[in-house]
Amino acid sequence: MAKLELSGIRKSFGPVEVLKGIDLTVEDGEFVAFVGPSGCGKSTLLRLICGLDEITAGQMAIDGELVNDVPPAKRGIAMVFQSYALYPHMSVAQNMGYALRLAGTPKDEIKSRVTEAARVLRLDPYLERKPRQLSGGQRQRVAIGRAIVRAPRIFLFDEPLSNLDAALRVDMRIEIARMKDDLGTTMIYVTHDQIEAMTLADRIVVLNAGKVEQIGSPLELYNKPVNRFVAGFIGSPRMNFLALKGRSADKAGIVAGGEVRLPAGLTEEPAEIGIRPEHLLLTRRGAPDSLAGKVTMTEHLGSDTYAYVALEGSSDMLVVRLAGENAVARNEPIGVHVDPKMIHVFAASGASLASAQPAALEAA
Amino acid sequence: MFDLSSRTAKLVFGVSILLIGFYLFFPIYWMVISSFKANGELYQVLPTFFPRDVTLAHYWSVFTESQLGLYLVNSLIVSGASAAINTVLAVYAGYSFAKYRYPGRQPIMLFMLSAQMFPFGLLLISLYPVLTSFGLLDTRPGLILSYIVFALPVAVYMLYSYFTQVPDELIDAARADGASDLRIFHTIVLPISIPPVVTVFLYSFMWSWNDLLYSMTLIVSEDKRTIGPGLLLTYLNETNADWGGAMAASLVVSAPIVIAFMFLQRYFIQGVTAGAVK
Repeated sequence: MAKLELSGIRKSFGPVEVLKGIDLTVEDGEFVAFVGPSGCGKSTLLRLICGLDEITAGQMAIDGELVNDVPPAKRGIAMVFQSYALYPHMSVAQNMGYALRLAGTPKDEIKSRVTEAARVLRLDPYLERKPRQLSGGQRQRVAIGRAIVRAPRIFLFDEPLSNLDAALRVDMRIEIARMKDDLGTTMIYVTHDQIEAMTLADRIVVLNAGKVEQIGSPLELYNKPVNRFVAGFIGSPRMNFLALKGRSADKAGIVAGGEVRLPAGLTEEPAEIGIRPEHLLLTRRGAPDSLAGKVTMTEHLGSDTYAYVALEGSSDMLVVRLAGENAVARNEPIGVHVDPKMIHVFAASGASLASAQPAALEAA
Repeated sequence: MFDLSSRTAKLVFGVSILLIGFYLFFPIYWMVISSFKANGELYQVLPTFFPRDVTLAHYWSVFTESQLGLYLVNSLIVSGASAAINTVLAVYAGYSFAKYRYPGRQPIMLFMLSAQMFPFGLLLISLYPVLTSFGLLDTRPGLILSYIVFALPVAVYMLYSYFTQVPDELIDAARADGASDLRIFHTIVLPISIPPVVTVFLYSFMWSWNDLLYSMTLIVSEDKRTIGPGLLLTYLNETNADWGGAMAASLVVSAPIVIAFMFLQRYFIQGVTAGAVK
């Protein structure tokens, strides 16, 4: 268990600066997920925390102790790798006990700790097998087991589930959630899968181009993104963005297909609005607060239906998420209802000027 | 794959295989049967394809009259030592080139490989005075060194290409587990690299075992002579050519390599094709 503090962390590979000053505090026992597009630096940041790469500038402390120059094993950190990185020539038990053996732990203790971890992860029947004789899910559990036996202060996960098939991924996600509750250890989890991040994390760090865009709880990020990037990154299908073409006489925003009412008291000139697919409804043409368009395509997922609407007089498309099975007539003139309370407004810089105000938040 | 459905295709394929097989194996076949023929039959104008009278006389003379035993021991010492040293050096050099980044890494590698671009006869010309000035001419260490000069670049390159395919995450995982660089290499990387290491050992061993030119030039003393020049000078000299003895002796000296290859061919083939498909 430990508190991790990063301040002004920078990392350069030659002339390329990959991390441009990261400030972050992870509290003791907290589960933090790093998300961001490929190349945003999330895996690099994890490697720095682990100690696999050197920090170019900035300070990193665990429980108040500066660890910039402390080698990985001495930091009390264990990492689970994306490819599992099991030692192919060692049995499951040897894989799990390797770190302890290096640390000079007595044999009896190694054995009891490996057996205990294997029991927790239901690996006891496989202790003598080689990694190649295991299934993907079992290998993943061995990789986690290898981290657990070290009883680390901080767990790091680098996209641990991305090599598993969809069904197994859900199982392992639940397993990790259980582990988080059981162990109560500080955990940092890198993923590009936002469902993993949203379901597992206490707080999510959204990274983009080597910088932190926003840190917050999953729902904070969803409801109150600080900028266009976070708004577009969190949520699936992603938020619809519509450029503002101007303001009408009554201060409404003019967009493709009609007008939308904007929140009052904007501090800056708005440039764009955003609205999530789940906050749109299909309605008749000309209904109040609606935009004119035609459904050009639908996707049926069983639980949901996604309707793609081409707005009148524009190439802009809106995705509308409809609950359940919906037979939607294609190419008929319809309206898309935009709830003014659910609109996000962005300035030209991308900064958020106003966020959605769902009823639940208003009540709170 | 090839479609061998038509009869002509099958025929062409079969005939080609036969031709290639004949080309590859007939000399070996000839060596075997000649070693069992009596001298009279060997020098007939019309050769026989099966020995009329099988005789072991040539083998008897190889083991009793020639110095073959001595040559074999010499070759074993020289080839074994050069292969072992070569493999050890190549293992560390190849790993360093593959997994570490330092200034001059690529130039050094290119420089090493460029030694390969000279015909080995040419290398010999420059090696000769070097060995002379170090007093290593006509010594086993001198011969071992010159074999290493020739075989090391290829050995390094073979292991380099293998080690680049060892996943970095595996090394990172061991580092996170607290292993030092050398420890990682010895306990994680080497144990999973046995096939290519064996391949490189065999390659270096075969290179020196089969050599004629270097050994003939650099070794003058009879007691240090290796099998290549040894056989040549014993059986085929200015005054006579004892083909039966030469064939029998050749078979005897090829045996160690053939046996080693049979035992290790699984590794050898794995090593040569390692990384061909993912």
